[in-house]
Amino acid sequence: MGHPSSASVSELASAAARTWDRCWFTPKTAGRLAVVRALAGLLGLLLAWSWAGDLDAWFGPDGIVSPEVLGAWRSPTALSVFDVARTSAALWTIFLVGVGGLGMLAVGAWTPIAAPLAALFWASLLHRGPMLVGPADDVLAVILWCLVVGRSGDAFSVDRRLAAADARPSWRNGLSLALLRLHASVIAAAAVVAQLKADVWWNGTAAWWLAARESTRVDLTGVFAGSEIATNLVTHAILLFEIAFAAGVWNRWTRGLIARAGLVGWPLVGLVAGEPMWGAAMAILAWACVPDDDARR
Amino acid sequence: MPHQPTPNRDDRRRPPGAPLPLGGSAPTGPEGGAGRGPVPDPGALQETLRGPATLLLGLYLVGLFLCVAGNTASGTSLLIGTVKDRLFAPWMVPLWLDLGHDTRLTYGLPEDADHHLEIRPAGKGMGRPPATLRFPAQRDHSERGARWRRLAAAAVLAEEDAEQAGVLPAAIGAGSFNAAGDDDLEIRIVRSVPPDYESARSPSGTETALEVRVRRRDGELQLIPLPPAEEVAPLIDSAPVSSGGT
Repeated sequence: MGHPSSASVSELASAAARTWDRCWFTPKTAGRLAVVRALAGLLGLLLAWSWAGDLDAWFGPDGIVSPEVLGAWRSPTALSVFDVARTSAALWTIFLVGVGGLGMLAVGAWTPIAAPLAALFWASLLHRGPMLVGPADDVLAVILWCLVVGRSGDAFSVDRRLAAADARPSWRNGLSLALLRLHASVIAAAAVVAQLKADVWWNGTAAWWLAARESTRVDLTGVFAGSEIATNLVTHAILLFEIAFAAGVWNRWTRGLIARAGLVGWPLVGLVAGEPMWGAAMAILAWACVPDDDARR
Repeated sequence: MPHQPTPNRDDRRRPPGAPLPLGGSAPTGPEGGAGRGPVPDPGALQETLRGPATLLLGLYLVGLFLCVAGNTASGTSLLIGTVKDRLFAPWMVPLWLDLGHDTRLTYGLPEDADHHLEIRPAGKGMGRPPATLRFPAQRDHSERGARWRRLAAAAVLAEEDAEQAGVLPAAIGAGSFNAAGDDDLEIRIVRSVPPDYESARSPSGTETALEVRVRRRDGELQLIPLPPAEEVAPLIDSAPVSSGGT
């Protein structure tokens, strides 16, 4: 028989291992992940549309972001399948294949192929024009790689219709959802830390600086100019929401509430910040954080 | 006494091919697992793979932490930067996962304001000719327009970096020769500056964040800071402009 203290250490280690397993490797059905997949595919198509209009002007043979420009901009370890496109036809071929991958992902067709194809395409596109990338692009890249891990084609998909998918719970779905939750929390926490470095988030005028930009989609300048209290309220509410989200998705009592609040809160923050696509991407992450009632525990 | 549903311990009546009930256990009928130990769950990760999976996951979590700690606008320590760059950047950068996630939304600083590009033929004679191209177009609130704004802002921010300074304005000029119908262009990056909160009722102002002249002479691309500098320096030795701009 072992020493009592070594027994308690062993129990503690076992409990930690069980918690770790439960957090990352619990088998789950694909329903929730399938919705993430469909929404991410649609968001990817929308964002891809915003690249398509100027694809030649940016990346074409005589485009602004030439290989020489790229050399001064991106990391030496960066790679992009677009690097091999020396003609406009090649550029468009790669782009349309990638868009096809996003479309397949949205409907769940050949998902085991579509998911890595879409993620690879997206990372390649962003590496081709890093100075054009916005926060929604970053978040979508993370979501797409998380989808590669899971079996998101097992539900609400063409694959399921064709009975090529298995509806049983899988640890891969659990891992994928856990990674999405982790990133949702990390992105929110990192945003808070970044914002708190600036005076405007402390003195309550950040909402004004967001609203007064030329590019803002919703003109709230009249409301904010008329009431400093309202400006302060919106500023502090954004911060509090981000803090609550970053921490709340890890507590089983608050997770459901805060994740559902994120479905509304993130799009609103995105609208106020002039980054509605980013707000939509964060709402997709929030959806991944909603507790799954049908999941195995 | 309330009715207690009998747990379904025998799924022999389950239709062929039907999935296992959620949360249910493996079959334990007379021919089943009695005395044979637990039947492995086909959806669970095999015991032998948990160790490697945990190791990979731990490695990724360390990489994620270092990216957040190391990719902030405030800079990073040499130690964190070195560890991240040596061990994690080679595989996290190609996947576009080397992200600090420091979405700050705004600092209320001039560089957070919207930027746009104005391109016009270089001044010939008196006065400034009207802009022939503007990116993005006025009142363009689309994501496509936002990418042009990021490009313009990136060109201004890059002026602080010795390696990147002048590269984007020159590339914008070279890429615009065809569209503007001229080989001698003025590139102006305009910043829309919102009024302070104290003067919130005032209209937004604009200021020139960067203004350069880009021209092509004998196949060589030249970048001339404005107001005119004393010398005209070749930007790129082997300028990629042989086939003209977009």
